[in-house]
Amino acid sequence: MKLTFVQMRMELSTLLRNYEQLLLVLVIPLGVLVFFGNVDVLPQGVDLAQLLASVVALAVMSTAMVSLGISTGFERSYHVLKRLGATPLGRDRLVVAKAGSVAVVEAAQCVLLVVVALFMGWSVGDVSWLPLIAAVALGTFAFAGVGLLLAGRLRAEVNLAAQNGLYLVLLAVGGVLVPTDDLPDALAAASRWLPSGSLAEVLNDAVSGAAVSQQAWLALTIWAVAAPLVAAKSFRFDG
Amino acid sequence: MLVVSQSHATPALRVRELTVRYADTVAVDNVSFEAHRGTVTAILGRNGAGKTSTIEACEGLRRATSGDAVVLGASARDLPASVRARMGVMLQDGGIAPAARVEALIRHYCRLYDRGVDAARLIDRLGLAALRTATWRRLSGGERQRVSLALALAAAPEIAFLDEPTAGVDLDGREVIREIIAELSAAGACVILATHDLDEAERVADHAVVLHRGSVVADGRLTDLCAGGKRLEDVVREVTK
Repeated sequence: MKLTFVQMRMELSTLLRNYEQLLLVLVIPLGVLVFFGNVDVLPQGVDLAQLLASVVALAVMSTAMVSLGISTGFERSYHVLKRLGATPLGRDRLVVAKAGSVAVVEAAQCVLLVVVALFMGWSVGDVSWLPLIAAVALGTFAFAGVGLLLAGRLRAEVNLAAQNGLYLVLLAVGGVLVPTDDLPDALAAASRWLPSGSLAEVLNDAVSGAAVSQQAWLALTIWAVAAPLVAAKSFRFDG
Repeated sequence: MLVVSQSHATPALRVRELTVRYADTVAVDNVSFEAHRGTVTAILGRNGAGKTSTIEACEGLRRATSGDAVVLGASARDLPASVRARMGVMLQDGGIAPAARVEALIRHYCRLYDRGVDAARLIDRLGLAALRTATWRRLSGGERQRVSLALALAAAPEIAFLDEPTAGVDLDGREVIREIIAELSAAGACVILATHDLDEAERVADHAVVLHRGSVVADGRLTDLCAGGKRLEDVVREVTK
């Protein structure tokens, strides 16, 4: 356990010294929340609770997929993972340390976003906390799986482009910023089965106290199980 | 194959019929040898002879196609953390992120190995005091080798795998590395040194295993291999013809 925490500390301090990663995991989600919460450009009917749900989905995507995926891809290409595999830490504890650091960052993101949303006039009254936490956990597994699937197979530079490209696509048409209901029919149908769309939908249900969408939970659960399994099966520690 | 004199003491490393294949290429072909505590064993051979693949299979970083290596009593196919904790590793390709800072990195590895090695003393011993805050990407080739060696020493190793430790290192740096290898050996560690620098091997090694196209073509004590005043370079040239 001690070694896992030692590595987790290193992972977090590396993240804090990396300005691109900080931009991705903190500045962008906060910026999106503050900007769209104050500027009237979102589709009609999107309230602050819905916006917060979308931004939490965005934050999970930024941290568990893009940040983790890009850093792991580069570590793989620099043989850092290989070198750590020869220490007593080993591969299993390295994975746990990375998962732990993602959890710490996401907890910080959620607290920060909730506090800012409260200042912007959002009320916690309708929140269903258990589904909210479950949704963030499932979303983390799903996006970490997708991020590591790319990081574990692609060259670092290709992986960097793929993670950023996927992030922008999911942001625009994956049901994150624009609710799935407001997308064209075909896109909306596809988006509901994407990890981004399903996560945004269950988070929206959780923060607004709306009825639970069983399809969204099912889609998110499938991604949360399948993506890490495929990533674990195909991941190459040295590339 | 040239084999001269073998010890009967329990070896720190026992490689038995090790074969490593990459698709259709056989990188290591049925290699067997032993290395003992308190000695320096040089793995020699030309580029592509199978030195790094052999060492990485012993470190547990590369899966053997067949055969095995037993390191400090454990199979390299599944080395427990307790054995990895006593194993110093210096990879040929570094294994360090470009943004890593020298002191933070060495301190981190000292914590990971948890063997009571003092990071500050290690930094001083390797002549890295002036580079504490430097990032890996700014270091010269020789400085990088010294940092990599420091990470291997963070394990206070009972067995040290050093892959081309003096590659790109200047004369002073080579002297420091040579001294450290001698200290490790004198302290009872088993040092496995992969190199194609035969002068270096001749200076520091007690034992040599020569690989050629993945197979062992010579294995023995340096004093025996070089009997009659032969130079190691001539011995290696002869067996790898």
